[in-house]
Order: sequence, then structure tokens, then C-alpha cells
Amino acid sequence: MRGVAVIGVGVTKFGKHERTCAELFAEAAADAIQDAGVSPRAIQAIYYGNVVGGEGEHQLHMGPQAASVLGLPTIPTTRFETACATSHAAFRHAVMEVAAGVSDVLLVGGAERVLNLPTDAATEYFTYASDATFEQPAGMTFPGVFALIARAHMAKYGTTEEQMAHVAVKNHRHGALNPKAQFQKEITLEQVMKSAKIADPLKLYDCCPFTDGAAAVVVVSEEVARKSRKPVWVRASAAASDSMFLHDKKDLSRVLATERAAQAAYRQAGCGPEDVDVVELHDCFTIAEIVATEGLGFFEPGTGGIAAEKGWTSLGGKLPVNPSGGLKAKGHPIGATGAAQIAEIVTQLRREAGPRQVDGAKVGLVHTLGGNTATVLVSLLASE
Amino acid sequence: MNKVVTLKAFFEEARAGRLTAIRCGRCGELAIPPKEFCPACQERAWDPVPLDGHGTIASFTVIRVPPRGHAEEAPYAVAVVRLDEGVSLLGRILDIPLDALKVGMPVRFRPLIRDEQTVIAFGPA
Repeated sequence: MRGVAVIGVGVTKFGKHERTCAELFAEAAADAIQDAGVSPRAIQAIYYGNVVGGEGEHQLHMGPQAASVLGLPTIPTTRFETACATSHAAFRHAVMEVAAGVSDVLLVGGAERVLNLPTDAATEYFTYASDATFEQPAGMTFPGVFALIARAHMAKYGTTEEQMAHVAVKNHRHGALNPKAQFQKEITLEQVMKSAKIADPLKLYDCCPFTDGAAAVVVVSEEVARKSRKPVWVRASAAASDSMFLHDKKDLSRVLATERAAQAAYRQAGCGPEDVDVVELHDCFTIAEIVATEGLGFFEPGTGGIAAEKGWTSLGGKLPVNPSGGLKAKGHPIGATGAAQIAEIVTQLRREAGPRQVDGAKVGLVHTLGGNTATVLVSLLASE
Repeated sequence: MNKVVTLKAFFEEARAGRLTAIRCGRCGELAIPPKEFCPACQERAWDPVPLDGHGTIASFTVIRVPPRGHAEEAPYAVAVVRLDEGVSLLGRILDIPLDALKVGMPVRFRPLIRDEQTVIAFGPA
């Protein structure tokens, strides 16, 4: 297999936009292509991620629409959908296509727009990514799914609501350093603890927001990468699944797909959690960050809450997690999130992250979770 | 004989107050239908088995911000219930005060019937 690298990244401001998904994607894609320093005509295919465009914009067949708005209408496109892990799944397939020698230069990313919708409609459309046969009729929501995980983690390990609140405070502190973040404002522990209940024990500040935005990256072969400014190498890109049904999961305090994807990624890269310097992981809810830091092997099962409380995952801590602000503060345009996380790690490994730079970062891990924990992607990137 | 329990059959039975699981004829794995291969041993030899509907709460939440279509019901509780036979099932909690819910609390299955729809639910044991 050939070496694969990321040589260009583009991310729109996250927040509310008055533009379509295709327009948002086109901005991020054009920025990524210009950052890569390649001609737009060098792009051989576009892997485009979007989740609820069918419901929110009445738009299917989004790949060609996005390519048309980008101004490259003749490039082959494919749309990916794996719920919140969508554009990370697209990235993995692009990496495999380049590694296999089929293509040399691919554009990967995604876009999402939901802030044009009423909250109850957006909540309903997101719920479509959980099981429609047992769970939707019971009135489950995504905060509800992670509330079940939180309650199980609290019952098994004694994890506290305050420990979860520390994740929110930390990610808002990081987000305040990111000019692209939806929320660039620090919050206090007390604000989190006193925020409105959404799905007990999760409160408003335990939850990531609804977000509009787009992100894109340029994935290339080693030969192309060698001619570029600052290539970041893809050392692993792995996927794992778990049952779509919450009733099939034997231990709700764990996300098995995270554990399996991480093990596969470490095996591909020939390294372990101790080699990772910086992490962007899927903190759709504060408990999700705690469980992910355990599943990725950074902390023992049951100690992720303690790690958050002690500041080990803060910028300046022993393993900075979500320097971008994470989904919690940077925002979570679901179809764009994976590509945006990859863009952040590329920026960190190029030492171009400004005030949120993790000193000396050489190896970065990206973790993206889809839906009710049924899909997880883990990639490992390195500056050398 | 086709031993696959379809979703339609599962929910028709549930509507009548009966829960049905499937047991693998090779390894004995118990599962909630529908499934073709056994996730444990990949055999394709299920036998339907009745569940008696008793179990304990493995985890629960109180939904306060509901999706469209459930607005008038909120706040309501949803739980994953570990049934006595060893499988779990997710459902709505009925007739238990929200502040009395606890992990480990015994509950018992009953259907929540809304027009044509049948929802899995659990009430006091």
C-alpha cells in the first residue's frame, strides 16, 4: 500500500449560516484546495458527507450539487452517511482509494445545516440516526442515549455530574481560543450544574449545540505529498461497528466500537495510546468524552471522569483533548464534524494552531462516533 | 418452518401483552428479534421463546426535551431493562414517579398502545 497524506484543510466558521450545505461545503473545499497548493483540476473525486440534507433542505443527490457549486461539476462524487461519523467514514474510504493506487488527489469533507429548522424538527431528524423500530417510538433522543450511558457509568464507577461538567468547562475554555468555534466564551462549573435539564442526568451544558458549517481536507499520495508545504501523514484509519439496538449492548458504560476501532488503528500504525500527543474526540455530550478517553486507552475504565476533573485533558495537561473546543464549544455540524476534527489535528501537527497549539505535538488521534454508538472511526496522523 | 420472528409478529404479540425472544439452536444465545444469524456463533437456527416480562432497570433517563410528536408527553422516562432471562429491552416507564426511579429497580413489561402503534413499556413490578 502507498503512503497517504493530508496536504490541505478548510473549515468554515461554525454557527448559524444563511447559505445551503452545498455553498458551505464549497467554501471549505476551495479553502482546502488552495491550502494544499494544488490546482482545482487536480482533484480526481469528491467524497461528500451530509446527514439530514434530505429532511432539512429537501436535497438528495448532494454530491454533484456540492461539486457544481464548487465549480468542478465534472468530478465524480459520492455521498457518505454514517450519522455523526459521516465525513470521517468518507475520509477512511479516500485514504484506502489513494493507498490502493486508484487515485492520487481526492477531496473529502462534509456539510450540515440545521439552524434554519425549529429545534423539535432538528431533534426529530437527528433521532432518525437511532433505531426507528424500538427506540424512536419510545420517544428516545440523542441526549437520551448518552444519558443512559451516563447513568450506567455513574452506577458502575461512581462518576459524578461535576466530573462531566469539568469536560464542558474545559472544552469551552479551549473553544475561546478558536476563531472558528461556535462558542468562544468560557463558562463556569456552576453554570453547567445549574443549566436546564435535557435528559437526566444530562443538562444543557453537557450537550453540544446544533450547528451549521462545513469542513474539507485534501488527501493525496506520498508522491504528491512530497512536493507540498507541510504534509501530515495518515498512519492509520480504522472503522468499527456495534449493534444498532441499545438493547443488544451488554454494558452501557462502554462503547465497544470505540475500543475495537482504536485497537485496529493502533495495530495499523504500530503504536499505542502512550504515543499520542493530541486528541480530537467525539464529545457530543460530556459523558461521551469521558467514555472515549477510556475506550481509546488513555485512562483506565472508570477513571475518565477523574482525568477530566484533574485537568489532565486540558491544554497544558498530560494529554490535551479537544484543543479546538470539541463538538461542545466548536460546534457539531454532524456531516462536517469528522473532517473538521481531522483539519484540527492537521493544523496542530503543522504547528499552526496559534494560542491553542499543543507544544511538540507529533502524533494526533481523531475519534468520531456515529449515532447511538453503532459506528466509530479512529485515525492516527503524524507529522513525520 | 420459518422460525424468523418478524418485527410485525414481535409487536403484534407485544400488543397482546406477550414478549418473544429467540434462542440460538446451536449455542443457546438469547436475543431480541429480528435477526438472521446468531451474533455469537453465526448459526441460523433460532427458536422463538416467551419472556415473562420481569426485569430490573439497567439504566434510565428522563426526557425533558422531546422530539416532535412527543411534546405533550414530556417529561417521560425511558429505561433499558435487563429481563430475568438475560436479554435487555428498551422501553417507556409508566406509573412510576420520575424521582423514584433507580438503577436496579424491578419493573414489569406492559404494552403502551397508541392507535396503530405498540410501544414497549414497563410499569411497577
